[in-house]
Amino acid sequence: MFYLGIDVGSLTAEAILLEGTRVVASATIAALANPLDSAQEVRGRVLGERGLGPVDVRYTISTGYGREAIQTEGIAQQNLSEISCHGYGAWCLQPRVRTVIDIGGQDAKAIRVDERGGLDRFAMNDKCAAGTGHFLEHMSRTLEVDLDELGPLALSARRPVRMTSRCTIFVETEVLHFLQRGRTRANIAAGVADAMAERVSALARRVHPVAEMTMTGGVAKNVAVRREVEKRLGLPLAHLRFDPQLVGAYGAARLAARKGVDRLAARQEVDR
Amino acid sequence: MSGPLISLGCDVGAAFTKLALLGPDRLLGSRVVRTTGRIADEIDGLVGALVAEAGVQPGDLAFVGATGSGGAQVRLADFYEDELTCVAAAVGYYLPDTELALQIGGQSICSVQVNGDGEVVSFGRNDKCAAGTGRFLEMMSKRLNEPLARLDDLAARAAQPRDVSSQCVVFAESEAISHINAGVPVPDIVAGICGSIGRIVASQGRRARDARLFTLTGGVARFRSVVRVVRRRLDLEYMPFPQDPQLAAALGAALLEADDAPTPASAPGPGPGTAPPDGEV
Repeated sequence: MFYLGIDVGSLTAEAILLEGTRVVASATIAALANPLDSAQEVRGRVLGERGLGPVDVRYTISTGYGREAIQTEGIAQQNLSEISCHGYGAWCLQPRVRTVIDIGGQDAKAIRVDERGGLDRFAMNDKCAAGTGHFLEHMSRTLEVDLDELGPLALSARRPVRMTSRCTIFVETEVLHFLQRGRTRANIAAGVADAMAERVSALARRVHPVAEMTMTGGVAKNVAVRREVEKRLGLPLAHLRFDPQLVGAYGAARLAARKGVDRLAARQEVDR
Repeated sequence: MSGPLISLGCDVGAAFTKLALLGPDRLLGSRVVRTTGRIADEIDGLVGALVAEAGVQPGDLAFVGATGSGGAQVRLADFYEDELTCVAAAVGYYLPDTELALQIGGQSICSVQVNGDGEVVSFGRNDKCAAGTGRFLEMMSKRLNEPLARLDDLAARAAQPRDVSSQCVVFAESEAISHINAGVPVPDIVAGICGSIGRIVASQGRRARDARLFTLTGGVARFRSVVRVVRRRLDLEYMPFPQDPQLAAALGAALLEADDAPTPASAPGPGPGTAPPDGEV
């Protein structure tokens, strides 16, 4: 039995194909202008990898940007919020997880899940770019350091700078001033990671984080931000051994698998 | 001291530095330049040129007042005062009945409640977030490759302003870019951004209690399309600031010391703007 999860974000779109509960294909593409096109394209990629067609998939769940339209167009049978999908996806990967911090390109969420991976409570910031992936992208551009290198560079800092602002725009100005004053990129990158971690931790505190805690989304790859969040919240971040950017699609696929199994059971019930 | 009282206010803001040379009853001259990293050195030259151009002898300059986030860099200054104290002084002088000033600067939005003596009664300041500040307009000016001064004329030509829904400047910028890519006319986008700024400023103004008349100061108050939205959204009567609103804090810095130590002969007389015409700035 094949199940599909599709997660269309503001910058990228991901799909995960499961056979039972095992991942058999995954794909990430740069998001297209229309989320429906993104969904179709990324679905084509994962199915093509296994030589399958849409009819071979028992159940598909969409999440993310345009998830309703993706269902309405018949690409998915159901749509669920990113919060449910990230929470469940992280829980499936590590069933002791109770707190999930998901940082996307344009928003950030702190999620508490129960012992079955269901949503307990959440807090979200989609109003302010500070504490989202956008913040790090801006700083990586201003510092002229690749996004992937920002974390390791920050860890090498010996005298991190301290940002006084929260706003992305104002921190960017601070970064420029620090560069003009000859501070090293490593020290500035550490200040950026610190400022980022402060916003993320403030959001996480709103759901009263408990162990185990983990992080999903692209920012989870930044080692310096991870370390600062751990320090501030006094909890270690569990490693999921899974691409953190695929957790939403994985959660959607696992929920699709659960739904497919439920429906099969229901049908067998009726048949009997 | 002899001769008419002449004073100078220097407002070193986040984006622009403003100088106002004030005579006994009128503005003798002004300068608005971008605040650079070398502004401390530039000010001396600017002051010299401004004073010379107005035909004022350097010895006739009674005092120099400094204000603004970079005001401490004005080496010529006899004193430094907070920007809001200065705005209140200017509003008290030019618009004595106006109880509320909304100051929209390059990096902050402030609301100041003012009494008839031009003193601050209470104030609110948002300098934590760029939303609604001049930074928003600067960003768009860069993005659209249009000079800041032209944005207001562009907005005036909008057929159908296209709203930006995000308050956050970073998110609003992405929205504006997708509007550009979708072929929305530039005037409609600029008008939408001015509308967004106006809404944020108005919500700051709505927190003021017991105000009947309000004015707008700071560089962004020069944008008619922002002013229009603030007026529409605030249930208060609008009093246009009778001088260039971007000069308000500099004017206040030039007025303050005179108020503190008035001599009957040298205290400033009623300004030209005490009975301002009603209408748009």
